[in-house]
Amino acid sequence: MNRESTRSTRRRFLGTATAAVAAPSVITSTALGADDRPPASERIVMAGIGMGGRGSGDLRNFMGHSEVQVVAVCDVYKSRQQGIKNHVDQRYGNKDCTMHTDFREVVDRDDIDAVVIGSPDHWHALMCIAAMKSGKDVFCEKPLTLTIKEGRAMVDVARRYGRVCSSGSQRVLGDYGGLARKVQSGELGQIHKCYCDPGGPPRECNLPGEPVPDDLDWDMWLGPAPWVPYNAFRCGRAYGLGGKGFRTWRDYSGGMMTDWGGHKFGGAMFALGLDETGPTEIIPPDGKDYQWLTYKFACGIEMYRGGGGPKYEAAQGNVPGLTWEPPTHLLKRDYRGKGGLSGDVLHCIKTREKPFRDVEWAHRVATVCHLGNIAYELNRPLKWDPVKEEFPGDEEANRKTWRPMRAPWRL
Amino acid sequence: MSKRTSTIFGLLLVALLFGLALPAVADEALDKAFDALKAYDWGQDRNLLKAIDDAVVASHDDDAAQKALEGQLAAVLKTDASRAAKDYVCRQLSLIATAESVPALAALLPDKDLSHMARYALERMPAPEAVKAMRDALPKTAGRTKVGVVNSLGVRRDAESVAALTALLGDSDKELVGAAAAALGAIGNADAAKALGDFQKKAPEELELAAADACLVCAAQMLADGKKTEAKAIYEALLKTPDQPKHVRMAATRGLLAVAAGK
Repeated sequence: MNRESTRSTRRRFLGTATAAVAAPSVITSTALGADDRPPASERIVMAGIGMGGRGSGDLRNFMGHSEVQVVAVCDVYKSRQQGIKNHVDQRYGNKDCTMHTDFREVVDRDDIDAVVIGSPDHWHALMCIAAMKSGKDVFCEKPLTLTIKEGRAMVDVARRYGRVCSSGSQRVLGDYGGLARKVQSGELGQIHKCYCDPGGPPRECNLPGEPVPDDLDWDMWLGPAPWVPYNAFRCGRAYGLGGKGFRTWRDYSGGMMTDWGGHKFGGAMFALGLDETGPTEIIPPDGKDYQWLTYKFACGIEMYRGGGGPKYEAAQGNVPGLTWEPPTHLLKRDYRGKGGLSGDVLHCIKTREKPFRDVEWAHRVATVCHLGNIAYELNRPLKWDPVKEEFPGDEEANRKTWRPMRAPWRL
Repeated sequence: MSKRTSTIFGLLLVALLFGLALPAVADEALDKAFDALKAYDWGQDRNLLKAIDDAVVASHDDDAAQKALEGQLAAVLKTDASRAAKDYVCRQLSLIATAESVPALAALLPDKDLSHMARYALERMPAPEAVKAMRDALPKTAGRTKVGVVNSLGVRRDAESVAALTALLGDSDKELVGAAAAALGAIGNADAAKALGDFQKKAPEELELAAADACLVCAAQMLADGKKTEAKAIYEALLKTPDQPKHVRMAATRGLLAVAAGK
């Protein structure tokens, strides 16, 4: 029997209840919309997947909006499930929030409109795509992806199903927006060079095995990544590249290049109007002509991984090949709705507009980060076709644009 | 011989000896790393293998060196080296492997512990021998191992697998059925479209969305290949399916608009 006909969705119940269906004897005031909350039929029902520090923080941001109702949380650590459930239940004054270890149980629910994804990076694409294929909208923490092809797959699914899919980075507008507007308006002149240093790439991990904690589903934590024995420092939440957290390791993350790259490269590409394209050359430092990892764009802009940033340097006089012009049309691109990034996402869920950190733009930013990591790994200059999204004629580099997933997972 | 000439001669001799010594030092480091690889396991110092990492990267412009490295790496797969060592080998081969490595990698496909890492290399190798090896592994694999092989055949859009994948649509393992449907969608040719069209009409409840998605992917692929009539038929069939979820109807409608727009 078709799923749609057997399900009794929230909206279908409220929209098509008949005499044959017994009406509830008590309709709570919160269901009707008391306490400055919209009625149940106008709420955006959400769930959180990957409820570590960042993910639970994001979920709490969304819960701060009166139109949001969180009904489920999911994490591979049972202890985290309980912790965030306690917070959700306290917020709504009930015990209704369900807990899950397997995110597929969450995306399979038809009463959920949108999910917040805060898992480690290697899970982002899979979870987002699964949610969108089930008809849900998505907010996913940055960095959007672990590989370049994941990002394009996410964009394709979002467009196929008309889903709102937003990545993170509150800093693109929050921290870097003031300078971005000066770039976009032309106040800083014709930009030639840009400096962004998000931090370094990840490395390979070979930690020894340890007993798996009782409250952790290790196989689910690994997901599509190669199987290895558990080690607390492999999957830890410690920030940076110090070897005590997942962001250090190439199997799960692009290191600081992608983690802070989502902020810094994201800020720069937004400011410069480059987030619908990509570089055409990526050159790792060579100790001679190139001090820093260098990205060259067709418009003549050069972007360097170095120098803090985002910082912008205008051309002094005429620079051959520099055709960049201030993207004044981006002065209008801003958060919609109220309440920063989360408010923007919620507004777009209601209006079906593209969010400020739309998946395509976020994919282009993540791609820049991944290209840098690939250049570091292969230790040679690379040419990139930002339209076809491939390394022209470079079969070896093209092998780095995706990673075969451990079964049963696939994009 | 003047003092100046002697000095120049001496410097040239030192440079020559240094130049000859460097490759020898490098070879020694590589040999040492391969020795370490024989006993390598999780928890050991990853830097023991750094010379191999560096040699693989450096071999980009040296076909002979790359071929030699490939052979040395593939040979490890046939030994009783640890899972961690073979994992490492497959990662390196994923960058440089050619058809020469396919037999060694293919032998690992039925192994539930090593199958993924064999695919880690095979799936990304352009060589047709690699995809043939995965196709041939279908009857030799079971459960999740088989699901992984099916997934890789989908990534490679292996048209020659369509008949085998179609047969899997009737399997009792629903995970395998879902994988087969997705792979057929990715392949996106006429035979795949027919198989998916038949499957979509009778898919079990838990696979209805997966079947619809596979049809949408197939239609998009056919449209990209210029087969507008076939793509249109798929989209129309989806819209005719009773109780199709709204987001699937939207996707099918968008597809029809794309067909009409000639995209």
